[in-house]
Amino acid sequence: MRDQRSYFEKAEFQSHLPSQFLVLIVGVVLVLLEVGLAQWPFFYGASPILSLIFMYFMLIYHDELMPIVTVFIMGLMADLLLSDLVGGRATAFMLLSYAMRIGLARLQQSEFLDLWIDFSVSCAVVVLFQLIVFSLINLSVPALSLLLFQVGFTLILFPIGFVVMFSVQRILQSIRLMR
Amino acid sequence: MRPSDKTKVRHRRLAHLSLIVISFSLMFLGKADLLALRDARMSSSDFLAPMIDFVSAPIRGIQTMADGIRTVASLRAENVRLQAENDLLKRWRRRAEILESENQQLRSVTGTVSYDNRRPVTVRAVTAPGGSFAHTLLISIGSEKGVVPGNPVVTSDGLVGMIIDVGRNHARVLMISDINARIPVMLASSSWPGLTIGKNSEYLELAFLPAEAKPALGELVLTSGHGGILPAGLAVGRVERLEDARVRVRPAVDFRQLGYVSVLIGGMEGVDKSNLSLGNFFTAIPLDDNARLLEGMNASGTRQ
Repeated sequence: MRDQRSYFEKAEFQSHLPSQFLVLIVGVVLVLLEVGLAQWPFFYGASPILSLIFMYFMLIYHDELMPIVTVFIMGLMADLLLSDLVGGRATAFMLLSYAMRIGLARLQQSEFLDLWIDFSVSCAVVVLFQLIVFSLINLSVPALSLLLFQVGFTLILFPIGFVVMFSVQRILQSIRLMR
Repeated sequence: MRPSDKTKVRHRRLAHLSLIVISFSLMFLGKADLLALRDARMSSSDFLAPMIDFVSAPIRGIQTMADGIRTVASLRAENVRLQAENDLLKRWRRRAEILESENQQLRSVTGTVSYDNRRPVTVRAVTAPGGSFAHTLLISIGSEKGVVPGNPVVTSDGLVGMIIDVGRNHARVLMISDINARIPVMLASSSWPGLTIGKNSEYLELAFLPAEAKPALGELVLTSGHGGILPAGLAVGRVERLEDARVRVRPAVDFRQLGYVSVLIGGMEGVDKSNLSLGNFFTAIPLDDNARLLEGMNASGTRQ
């Protein structure tokens, strides 16, 4: 029988790098949008965590396009631009992505409502992690009402984000099929 | 699984672990306020600011449109309100002119030197606080225009904060509402000194007031000028709540509407700027009863 390893290796060589780069760009733009949203008086001090919605969607349905470096860069950029504790959100995002990869099969088969509940827990854990580290390092607790508003609004935006991303995914797939 | 796959998985795990360790270490290095890290942070802000500007242009557009619609809907009522406000301001202007002339006469009699040599430069706020953990602004002016850490940032309503990091074209402002901000202030009517402490919320806490001080509701809180970094007499806020020993101050500036701010450049001659790092700038005053920190008052608030 003919050795097919070379074909597989070639297939692996044609990697996801360009798509991963594109995903990184979208992630970075979403972080910038998050920072921009804060200029709206309504979101003052508590803009929704759009990058988390994007990361969550990508990790469930296209985890191969969301390497840990992308997660790290997105988190770090948010920390730098929002002047938060540098590394706080990056660490929280990376730990979440690690935890999600462990239970990926379960998440991929879950229904939307279960995903929403799981996302709520994930969002709360990310913010709680940042809150604990911030409080330990600064020996002070920031206003919790703003944090709750931020988490709440992110949860409200989750279904909208999901629909938008599914639509984009479908459009991209149809373009690929046409080619 | 092939051996090459196993190696790949091992490498990936190692990369994951390394990134988590790096990220975790960054949190503590960030708190240590290392100069290199601050420079890196400011350089990245300098680099990313135009992109933020570009991405937030549609957001600003929508906001402007909404404001426009609201204004058109209430044009008549707004006109009546502005006329009334204009009359009031004219009266205040006359009063201010009288007081200014009186002030100058008194200064000439007492020989008081005025240190009013700061130059205001109005700039645009590129970002607003987007998270609950830090209240800072990125503004579109930097070291090229002579901005240095410590320069006060104001609006026509009062004090916004002060510059903490300066890049070539952008600077970061620590707002008075940030948890790390400590501003030396005084009560406008009684001149008792104190400190406002940011809480990352809509209120500031007024602390270190002497025991004799009796702040009244609605009383104006001004910068005292102690330390020489901030000029005296800038409006910080008004006393809004008195809860047991806690005095809460609502900032004079509405931070949610900060499109443009003014940086007061200059006027820091004689101030030791070598120590103006965040850690040294805003650390809480140590409670040493023997040390005199403000004029005639020790750290416990007892008059000496």
